[in-house]
Amino acid sequence: MKQQRLALILAFLLFSPIVFSQELDALLDAETKPQTTFATATFKSTRIINGHSIEQMKKDQLDFRISHRFGTLNSGLYGLYGLDQSVIHFSLEYGIKDWLMLGAGRGSLNKVYDGFAKVRILRQSSGEKFMPVHLSYFSSIEMNTLKFPERPAGTSNYFSSRLTYVNQLLIARKFNENLSIQLTPTFIHRNLVKTELDMNDAYALGIGARYKLSKRLSVNGEYYYNYNPNSKSLDPQPYNALSLGVDIETGGHVFQIMVTNSQGMREGSFIPQTTGSWLDGDIHLGFNISRVFAFNKK
Amino acid sequence: MKTRNLLAVLLIFATVGVFAQGKFISKNAYISFFSSTPMEDILGESNEAVTILNAETGEIAFQALMTTFHFKRALMEEHFNENYMESAKFPKTKFNGKIEGFNKSMLSSPITDIKVTGQLSVHGVEKTITVPARLGIENGKLSGSTKFKVIPEDYGIAIPSLVRDKIAKEMEVTVKATYAPFGN
Repeated sequence: MKQQRLALILAFLLFSPIVFSQELDALLDAETKPQTTFATATFKSTRIINGHSIEQMKKDQLDFRISHRFGTLNSGLYGLYGLDQSVIHFSLEYGIKDWLMLGAGRGSLNKVYDGFAKVRILRQSSGEKFMPVHLSYFSSIEMNTLKFPERPAGTSNYFSSRLTYVNQLLIARKFNENLSIQLTPTFIHRNLVKTELDMNDAYALGIGARYKLSKRLSVNGEYYYNYNPNSKSLDPQPYNALSLGVDIETGGHVFQIMVTNSQGMREGSFIPQTTGSWLDGDIHLGFNISRVFAFNKK
Repeated sequence: MKTRNLLAVLLIFATVGVFAQGKFISKNAYISFFSSTPMEDILGESNEAVTILNAETGEIAFQALMTTFHFKRALMEEHFNENYMESAKFPKTKFNGKIEGFNKSMLSSPITDIKVTGQLSVHGVEKTITVPARLGIENGKLSGSTKFKVIPEDYGIAIPSLVRDKIAKEMEVTVKATYAPFGN
């Protein structure tokens, strides 16, 4: 027993010089222990497909986005499967702080101007500080600028009728290098709806996911479930928005190509007012292009 | 029995004590890499590299977490970690080497040219490199620096043809460290 221990000590002393060259490395390992690692690049873009992802522009980075949604595939050869018709949305989106992004845009569908803010509240992290999810708050105001319809004598139109308010919580988790999933509880208030049967307040839950196929290519899916659809609406029956797409990243650009049953590209339109049905072939081909510019000095 | 145990513990501490002696450390060493092409200049910088120099043997080691490298464009940083370095898989870059023809006077004389040979590990690939460096006392402190070229493909870093024109064939790596005695 005693001899064994002695042998152990001797062995330790003898082997020390051999361990020596590893020793500096081990000392540094102790010094560079990662403290808190934040999950980054949960999604490739600030949009999953139509809806916002928890990603946002970092401080002093400007994102110029152009998006198109074509007509429906079931318009047949006569409408070149939707390509004859297209709606556009473009926007400028800027990172004021790493945690605060502001954006403004214009969409041709209903001639809507919109402004939004996205605020990061929690970041997913591991290590010393553990946080299982990202949490952000998204809020926007959309302004429909279509000409007001003729009204009966004695009634008038109000500016406030043009406005729609969107509030969302973005809750996302990057499960591993490839898979990220986001839940998006949504509350939308429309100041004016078409008939009294339509709801002013819309509640919805979005679920979105991306799966990375390679470093620069991912497949994305997104679905928004409406809790109180305008089932009594005299308008066309609304559907839940379902979109499938791919993200292709090429240096400073991200291309998103998708098929979706909604032609709107803003929350106030594609969540409560998607009128296309997948089963009927009301499927729109579309794309988003994002180009990021850096405005920081250093 | 008890005394022997104590002796063993003492011996272990004594050896550790010897190890800790005669070392210099820097916890905020600077490492940068620079890629220059007519299309675009890319500069990634870390001020959080750690390095230890063994004053007895001339051994020198560096480590840096990939996520401590920062860039002008946030997207570059994301691509650096996501697409090129795969920082989730290979979180660190390391160097373990030795100063050629080391003698202790190198640590107390003014800055002189030296050569360092060792293993550079980037993106999980290890390569033996020999680089020219400068080491000595500057402003009363032990300082070291080096500048050398690295070819990304040597370390298994794939650069797609689409961005090939924007990323230099060779990166210029700059390292600067000001050491302080370790363990004080």
